[in-house]
Amino acid sequence: MFLSLKEIKKEKFRYGLIVAMIVMICYLIFILTSLAMGLSSQNTDAIDSWNMKSIVLDKDSNTSLSQSLITKDQRKNIKLTKNEALIGQASVVAKKSGYAKESSQFLGLSKKQFISKNLVLTSGHKINSNHQIVVDEKFKTDGYKLGDKLNLNSDKTKYTIVGFVKNAKLNIAPVIYGDITAWQSIKNLNGQFTGSAIVSKNANFKANNEQLETYSTSTFISKLPGYSAQNSTFIFMIGFLMVISLIVIAVFLYILTIQKLQNYAVLRAQGIPAKTLVGATISQSIILVIGGLLIGTILTAATALIIPTSIPMSFDIPILSSVGIGLILTGLIGALIPIKLILNVDPVSVIGG
Amino acid sequence: MTTLQLKNINKYFGSGSSRVHVLKDINFTAKKGEVNLVLGPSGSGKSTFLTIAGGLQTPTEGSVELEGQALKSLSNKQRDALRLNKIGFVLQAYNLIPYLTVKEQFKLVTKVKKEHNLDDKTLDSLMDQLGITDLENKYPGELSGGQNQRVAIARALFTKPDIILADEPTAALDSERVAEVGKIFQTLAKEQNTAVVVVTHDLRLINFADNVYEIMDGNMSLNNSLKAG
Repeated sequence: MFLSLKEIKKEKFRYGLIVAMIVMICYLIFILTSLAMGLSSQNTDAIDSWNMKSIVLDKDSNTSLSQSLITKDQRKNIKLTKNEALIGQASVVAKKSGYAKESSQFLGLSKKQFISKNLVLTSGHKINSNHQIVVDEKFKTDGYKLGDKLNLNSDKTKYTIVGFVKNAKLNIAPVIYGDITAWQSIKNLNGQFTGSAIVSKNANFKANNEQLETYSTSTFISKLPGYSAQNSTFIFMIGFLMVISLIVIAVFLYILTIQKLQNYAVLRAQGIPAKTLVGATISQSIILVIGGLLIGTILTAATALIIPTSIPMSFDIPILSSVGIGLILTGLIGALIPIKLILNVDPVSVIGG
Repeated sequence: MTTLQLKNINKYFGSGSSRVHVLKDINFTAKKGEVNLVLGPSGSGKSTFLTIAGGLQTPTEGSVELEGQALKSLSNKQRDALRLNKIGFVLQAYNLIPYLTVKEQFKLVTKVKKEHNLDDKTLDSLMDQLGITDLENKYPGELSGGQNQRVAIARALFTKPDIILADEPTAALDSERVAEVGKIFQTLAKEQNTAVVVVTHDLRLINFADNVYEIMDGNMSLNNSLKAG
């Protein structure tokens, strides 16, 4: 540690450049991870807020909420407890003169069931009639306010915004919570259909109907349109970035070590044990990576403060911490690569001929 | 009392037709309280002799004993410890760490060898004697060649070694400083009962030596007659 700190102190510019490079790598990985997390959470925010464990869908819907319909006959023999809720989903475009159109996900709920009961509003109140809606805060960001009346698709009914909820997104679109009867109206369904799905907080909930099938939440989420492809893309990007970082950091540390071999040969001739030199190299790498990581974290936090809310970014501390630990391990591996050079340094090389 | 003894040392480099016989049947003894000068031109084998004496290389044939201990029987770790505790190396070049100040060169040693180093008072006195007292916060890059060499000497003496092995310690010094270094080696040998071995081609050190050896084409011979001249 003594040698590593002294060298950094003496060679401020050189090590400053290396730390700057690590800062950029950390910053890039953190921002990409946050964007990936943000986009991922915009797919599932609403689902996450329900704390559901399973979902019952039409067996032929290909695990797609928008393709699923549950008939009254199917629903008739299903006993719903306080842990189950019926939802009716419709993709809608919300329109109001003078405002931007909002492509949204309408979710019809029953006021007596847990999703509606557990909604946490940031302003306004829950719905009292089938012409009232509670909407995601994206609407507020786009200028909509409480009391605004809007149309959904070609439905002539005017729906009044009575409340706003935070983080209510499904498949990246803002959610509009309304009454289940409104869903039937929007979808132009006759009374034959009762909803799109039944969600349950019970992982083992069964519908007892051969036309219906229960899926776990993770299976359902993985089948959301584009969700898996999007996440895989980000995971690969971040993975490749980590591998490239490892190579870049390792190359830098290797070059640094080669430059120091002459000094290490002198120290070995003087009897300084190899483990002291190896320790100095490893501790220096860790100091550089942690230094870069800290500055990268501060930059990321500063970015989080100034970035517009329209950009989906999510700063998940446990995941970012894991990425940080990954980078430290990367630095450690990078430092270990030239260790063999240090162990094999020949002190004789510094004795003149 | 014998500190270092080399018996029947032969060293070959290479193999087959390119095999070179660098040291030829060398016998050498360094005793406590004596300064031994090994004179020879470049390529004569004097550096190979020094590295073998310091346990940095092993001879092809023969044995090296330091304080009665055969170096052959020691592990690498034990050789490290031996060099750190019993041998003070003064090297010709690159002998100071460029990112440590003069003061920190000594501090590094205390990090590894925590005891039996020079106390602060003695170190101050030694630095004063070498004319480097004011340099303690300077980096090697800020020092002249001569100053660097004097710091390197102080660094080697800091561990209170049983033997000093010096490789061209006066290469960058003017005659006045050469005399000071010669006196320091003499004082060290006489007052601290240390054995000193200096390999050099600097004839200005001859008069500070108790024994003068000549090495030529791998053959070593005692030639104290050079002192009179």
